Amino acid sequence: MSDLTRLTPGVAVLLQGNQALARGALEAGVALAAAYPGNPSSEILESLADSASSAGFHAEWSANEKVALESAAAVSFAGVRGLASMKQNGVNVCLDFIHNLAISGCRGGLVLVTCDDPSGVSSTNEEDARFVARLADLPLIEPATPAQCLALMKYAFELSEAIGQLVVLRSLSRLSHTRAAVTPGALPAGRPRPHWDPADPAQRWATLPVVPRHRVMKQKLQQAGQLMAQAGLNQYQGPERPELVIVASGSSVLYAREAIGLVDAAARVGLLSLAGTWPLPAEILAQRLANAGAVLFAEEIDPFIETEVKAWAAQQGGALAGLSFHGKADGSLPEVGELTPGLVAAALADSLGSPWRSVEAGYLERARATVETLAPVREVGFCPGCPHRASFWAIKQALAVDGRQGIVSGDIGCYTMGHRPTGFQRVNSVHCMGSGLGVASGLGQLKPQGFDQPVVAVVGDSTFYHAGLPALVNARWNQSDYLLIILDNSATAMTGFQPHPGTGLTASGQAGQAVELEKVCQALGLAVEVADPYDLEATQAAIYNAVRQGGLKVLILRRVCALVQGRRGGHPFKMRIDPAKCRGESCGCNRFCSRVFRCPGLYYDEKAGRAAIDEVVCVGCGVCRQICPAGAILAEGEGEAAA
Amino acid sequence: MASSPAVAPAPPPGGGLARLRAEVLDPGLCVACGACLGICPHLIFHDGRVAAPDACGLDSGRCLDLCPQAIAPGPEARRQELAQASDAPWWPELGPVRQAVWARATAADLVGQVQYGGVVSTLAALALELGLVGEMVLTQAGLDGAPEGARVTDRAGVLAAGGSIYAAGAGLMQVNQALASDESHPLGLVGLPCQAWGARALRAHPNYPAARRLQLVIGLFCTLNLDLRRLRAVLDQAGVDQPILRADFPPPPAGVLELTLPGGLRQIPLDDIRPTVLAGCALCPDLSAEAADLSVGAAEGQAGWNTVLVRSAVGEKLWAEALARGLVEIQPLPEETRGHLLGAAQAKRQRGLMAGKERRHV
Repeated sequence: MSDLTRLTPGVAVLLQGNQALARGALEAGVALAAAYPGNPSSEILESLADSASSAGFHAEWSANEKVALESAAAVSFAGVRGLASMKQNGVNVCLDFIHNLAISGCRGGLVLVTCDDPSGVSSTNEEDARFVARLADLPLIEPATPAQCLALMKYAFELSEAIGQLVVLRSLSRLSHTRAAVTPGALPAGRPRPHWDPADPAQRWATLPVVPRHRVMKQKLQQAGQLMAQAGLNQYQGPERPELVIVASGSSVLYAREAIGLVDAAARVGLLSLAGTWPLPAEILAQRLANAGAVLFAEEIDPFIETEVKAWAAQQGGALAGLSFHGKADGSLPEVGELTPGLVAAALADSLGSPWRSVEAGYLERARATVETLAPVREVGFCPGCPHRASFWAIKQALAVDGRQGIVSGDIGCYTMGHRPTGFQRVNSVHCMGSGLGVASGLGQLKPQGFDQPVVAVVGDSTFYHAGLPALVNARWNQSDYLLIILDNSATAMTGFQPHPGTGLTASGQAGQAVELEKVCQALGLAVEVADPYDLEATQAAIYNAVRQGGLKVLILRRVCALVQGRRGGHPFKMRIDPAKCRGESCGCNRFCSRVFRCPGLYYDEKAGRAAIDEVVCVGCGVCRQICPAGAILAEGEGEAAA
Repeated sequence: MASSPAVAPAPPPGGGLARLRAEVLDPGLCVACGACLGICPHLIFHDGRVAAPDACGLDSGRCLDLCPQAIAPGPEARRQELAQASDAPWWPELGPVRQAVWARATAADLVGQVQYGGVVSTLAALALELGLVGEMVLTQAGLDGAPEGARVTDRAGVLAAGGSIYAAGAGLMQVNQALASDESHPLGLVGLPCQAWGARALRAHPNYPAARRLQLVIGLFCTLNLDLRRLRAVLDQAGVDQPILRADFPPPPAGVLELTLPGGLRQIPLDDIRPTVLAGCALCPDLSAEAADLSVGAAEGQAGWNTVLVRSAVGEKLWAEALARGLVEIQPLPEETRGHLLGAAQAKRQRGLMAGKERRHV
């Protein structure tokens, strides 16, 4: 990322949606920005962290999203502006605080950015986080372009400050990561000094008494609706009496615009682009739908607007009574997966009864078949040299020897892929951040009832700090019986190597105070052992001994992420296959090294009839030399200190 | 002594690892002889247990072919083949027997230091000294007390491995690993009846020419073998300091397992030990390691002596040399003892064969 304070006001630049959001926060004079990394949101905080020193505010990676939002809310209580950004899962982590914050209200502008991930491209779900606006009566803003990201971020702060309430801004993968021309505005000359007047009854940020404050919360939403209508966030384009109006938000606005062109229906179809979606913009909806014959809703993930508009329209009666509605509910658009211009165009054409298709019949099937013949199969997998591959190998081997059908409760990070072949399918359940420890905590109580399978929880270092710690405290308290394996690769690797409490570095790359895994666990009174996953035999023995002994134990498998190691000068070995030792198909192992171990740096050379190292891909970690029964995998540079 | 074997699921088509798992590993009938280990990375051994973490994807393999616990060819067929191949007198209860005597070692450093009469250690050391074999594979206690195969090349190595702890040690894994090396010298093995049968399968396997290097098998009498982990749990419960240096089943009516520990002797009642017997041992019909070149066991009622059965020409040659050098002294096997031995062997045979039939019919 880069220092966004260096942009010149009035001069257009190409910015990613997330960068535009960050620049908007800078122009709004944000005093504290906090986040937990997670695609597709990470670049917002990264950009702000790179700009924090220049702009003179605080930016941090927080231990989790809830802490991030609480920190942002705190500065709002003190009268300055706060921002918390996260992916959709993070909103769930914050939910308890959000519902109480919505009642207490706030003072300085306070914005929560959720970046939702249609199709779950880099997520474990494709949740629509807009639900939080409906649940907690919070204003919801949905930009469609990077330029809108900048402008609406500034507006969100203003709106928040105007009504004394948290404002939710929703981005999407497609918007957060797309680049477009954005013209930055001016940065503020200064920002107010934070101060919280304890004597001011209006600055008592609490939820009690609930009922009157709940009433105020409702009033704030109503006020927000009025202000958003005045701000002209929502625009209509098209004929005055259209056959159909597309109601769209977010990146679907662009898809809808493109779809109207593709179907050549500009004269028949209007587009109502909604950027302020909650509370429902009733005025413009009433105005534009009254003259339409049908409505097609285009929005990502859930039919949020669609459902609310239909409920609202049912109450209106009159001119809206005869409207026909199309969208996800009637199957015009798919309920799951990301939308595309083609999908919206097809839905539009169907709704209009127009013959249109993006491609000729059977094209997709033919294209798929062709690609299958041309492209090699590529499975989702750990990187070459990834310590997680070695860790799951050791877990697999140790639990197999133990022989009691051990269960592995997984968590969120690169190692989530442990449930796939790359992790030898050794993860038996995975849900959300920290839940692996909680699930293990429950399983670890079943022994007296005859559950004789050993239980292992696997969690990454960053995730451990995020949400694992309370579950471990619970397990210790209630004397649960499981082995916690912390895969410490010294980074929040899956989201882009952000630092975490264990690394001791802050978001700006400055030295913070490291929170050491061992000391945290030892402080709970737990036995802690540390092993290097690259040493397969020692790691297997450590896991085996721990599960045989039973009881709540912690094993830290420590080895820096292979990609991080690559940036630090790489791994020590140059791997090669000894052609005299590799037995090829006569080995009897049926390509054990490439077929089972599955490191991308190791493959079977059909022509040569033996294993081979892909020198472009192999990073030289040396782990694979431990698995060949013939000792045919050689590590040149052996004896040099491993990094 | 062992509990009835678990029900075996219907075997998958073909052979190889999948079938080994279905027939032997998954039902818990593996006795950790080690025949399948050391030839393929899909099978691993740790702490007395064999496991196959991954599917190998092949429909045939030596792992199944060599396993004495596999359903096919079965102990009866194997025994018939041995009877046809052997030119020694055939004892219905004990297999091929050229000589049957009581014996004990004469070397001062063996008396009282190794188990029973010290004959096994004497013969193993002599085989190395004669160059009959260049390496002997024995079973010894590892650093953590778990038995493991050990490759030794001299008398000191043999003495270091003296004594038994009656737990599975997968000694044939070391044989396979030795066979995979670049060495060409003959190998010897000291092993249990299951291992002697595994060794015979190794030597006869058409796709294992290197196994012809295995020239000598000294078999051990065996009535049972123990699951190390279950034994450890029993001993933990009994407050026994581990590791165990040696374990003996003194002849009846002792009714105990006698443990030699760093701190002295300790006896555990047999009733406590029975639950730790490997389930797969119930399938074994062989008391005296019939497939070995010589077999050695404790001499009933004669402390400090061994019963020795000389079976093959190779065994006879080694035995003759031991006698000629005065390394062992012998006395005739008393008729009464011989009767007890035959009875015990016959009883074990019947139990094992019956268990095998039940296994095939489930």
